[in-house]
Amino acid sequence: MKIALVGNPNVGKSTVFNALTGSNQQVGNWAGKTVERKAGTIHRDNLEIELVDLPGTYSLTAYTQEEIVTRQYILREKPDVVMAMVDASNIERNLYLVLQILELAPRVVIGLNMMDLAKSSGISLNAAELTKALNVSVVEIVAAKGVGIDKFLAEAVRVGLLKKDPLVRQVPYPSELEEKIQAMENLLKDISWASQYPLRWLALKRLERDPEIGQEWQSVSAPESSKDKKRETCCDSGDALNYKLKNIIELPGNDLLQSYEEEGWTKDHFEMAFADAKYNYISQILPRFLIQEDLRKPSLTDSLDRWILSPIWGYPVMILVLALVFWASFIASAPLGEAVSQGMAWAADFLVSLLQWIQAPAFLTSLVRDGIFAGVGAVLAFVPQIAIFFAFFSFLQDSGYLARAAFLGDRLMQLMGLHGKSFFSLVSSFGCNVPGIMATRTLEDPKDRLITMLLNPLIPCVPRLGVMSAVVAAFFPGTRGAMIMLSLLLISMLLVMISALFMRKVVDQKERSAFVMELPLYHLPTLRNVLWPTWHKTYTFLKRAWTFILAASIVVWLLSSFPQGVPMNSTWAGKMGEWLEFIGKPLGFDWKIMVAIIFGFTAKETTLSTLGILYGVAADASQSIAQAMTGAMSPLRAYTFLVVYMLYIPCLASVVTTYKESGSLRWTAFGIAYNLILSFIIGWIIFHGGQAMGFQ
Amino acid sequence: MERSLGELKPGERACVERINGGGALRRRMMDMGIVPGVELEVVRCAPMGGPLQIRLKGYYLAMRRGECAKIVVSGEQHKAIEHTLASR
Repeated sequence: MKIALVGNPNVGKSTVFNALTGSNQQVGNWAGKTVERKAGTIHRDNLEIELVDLPGTYSLTAYTQEEIVTRQYILREKPDVVMAMVDASNIERNLYLVLQILELAPRVVIGLNMMDLAKSSGISLNAAELTKALNVSVVEIVAAKGVGIDKFLAEAVRVGLLKKDPLVRQVPYPSELEEKIQAMENLLKDISWASQYPLRWLALKRLERDPEIGQEWQSVSAPESSKDKKRETCCDSGDALNYKLKNIIELPGNDLLQSYEEEGWTKDHFEMAFADAKYNYISQILPRFLIQEDLRKPSLTDSLDRWILSPIWGYPVMILVLALVFWASFIASAPLGEAVSQGMAWAADFLVSLLQWIQAPAFLTSLVRDGIFAGVGAVLAFVPQIAIFFAFFSFLQDSGYLARAAFLGDRLMQLMGLHGKSFFSLVSSFGCNVPGIMATRTLEDPKDRLITMLLNPLIPCVPRLGVMSAVVAAFFPGTRGAMIMLSLLLISMLLVMISALFMRKVVDQKERSAFVMELPLYHLPTLRNVLWPTWHKTYTFLKRAWTFILAASIVVWLLSSFPQGVPMNSTWAGKMGEWLEFIGKPLGFDWKIMVAIIFGFTAKETTLSTLGILYGVAADASQSIAQAMTGAMSPLRAYTFLVVYMLYIPCLASVVTTYKESGSLRWTAFGIAYNLILSFIIGWIIFHGGQAMGFQ
Repeated sequence: MERSLGELKPGERACVERINGGGALRRRMMDMGIVPGVELEVVRCAPMGGPLQIRLKGYYLAMRRGECAKIVVSGEQHKAIEHTLASR
């Protein structure tokens, strides 16, 4: 039996899904979409149930990716039952989606969640009356506490096993509209293609001139095979249910549509009229099951928003929240990161001694110690940071704060032509670009996502800031250092803004997405809802990146240690640096800087140690490396280096993440090229501008 | 008296008269429950021309001023009988 879980965003769908499937779930992406796809198998009463958690959506039109995925699944996969989750505190808008589902799939069970939230805002609902009003089973649940979830599923199974589709109350349309719908129904009812869908739904969509009506699709890949034991039971990349267009059927009714249009009944007019009729119907039946108490006391959300969204206090509160997230993820997590590096070092030592014991050749021990473990270890040391950051991210998203941050940050984003939700992604990037890029998933419009993703690398992350501050401290001691650091950050922000406007031009976007965003009621997320996505995201990051990181570590090691036994400038990497000096020359860089820049690609924090080796500083202390550089470079050159270092490709992990999240090699390559060219141009301007102004 | 939603002050309520423009924005508003006859309340505005927080049907929505300008509202609740609950 196939069951689909559908509902508005923030109704607690994932809580119910996690409770029902436990760890027996596959998480991946919908084919060709960046929308998360979650499926799981449940065994109940000798039945194998495939439960699919469809993305949170407000309607079943085909406007956002979430809507398209949800609609296509219901249309093409035809689930036996739809479990519709409804937020009791926001029943009217939630029922709008339910009415749309009922027109498409009559076997629906409603799960009424968040009754407690509704109570606190003075609404009490009568589930039995709601059942009567819609003629649909309603189960009351408290998803966060796990109450009623089993009953919800049992009811869905019962409805799924019914011999005949239950009779659902139809939405009454005004007579003028009803005539038109019936006229269309009469035309469609004898078409064989039409028999696979409910006639009324088909007629409505035909009147709305829905492009997908009349298309026949065929699934290309084998359907979801969760039974396949060879696949991992958890966190599988998901099944790529893919479709190809098989046939387009010429449907009757073109003349009818034409004549309606002449009367002024355009596609938009129909859409509006249908929506209006649905909302009208909801407000008509509402008094039967809803009692509105006159509550004078402001709700929890009201009181919290008074501070959190306050024009005066909102920003300090946001800075406080962000500071806490950054402190916990990127500073307090340092011992964990060190523990990982320490563990990697021990493992390397152990392996090396083992290799020496079997008298393996020296280059092999060097590969293991200096290549694989040093390279992979440098990236793994960031995993605790990323994991803690994801935990905070999930918490902020679930609790409802993230939408508030988008509200507050929207004004700034608007200046750059971006969406308010880009704000959090860009701010996250100061910690690490990888979670910043992954945080773009909250953006609904794929083009907005892409632009935000491409901007992220221009924001210096904590490791980059660390290297930069060490260099700044060496070249510009005292208060001048703070000014220099500030100027660098200002350059970065300015470039983010300019690039945002530039990307808008490059990325072809037909229709600018609207900033119409729900501000959900605050609630405390469950531990499971925070930890599960954290684990999943961290795991996904590792799974995606480890092969690339391993390969890159080995390549870098190869380049820097062959031919063996020669000084660094004679190795392949050194030769590459010398060869690339022609690029660095206009910026005043010598080959050493070029080598450091090339090596910084695997992970930028390695730049200092590379420079240390190149400048012949044995000590690993960042201060002494930077000190050695002061003898070899003028402050102007150092400043140019800092700017270029800040702006060029962030690191391998972020490139891999950009590729996986955008799903496009072309855009990833564009991003890399953009960063390289931009850093070169800005570096050139600063170097020559500085020289012209007489700086040294 | 016809005004756009963006002209309301925090704390003011009004009924939706019509939505200007079409396409995705209009559909999005429809999905969120902004249809003619619904009562909206401007709760607060973000500073410096930022978005507005709007309450309707018992929930909160954030919308930019540009989008609010497309929603024409009227002070009187002439559809009050039909929409009493929708405009809670």
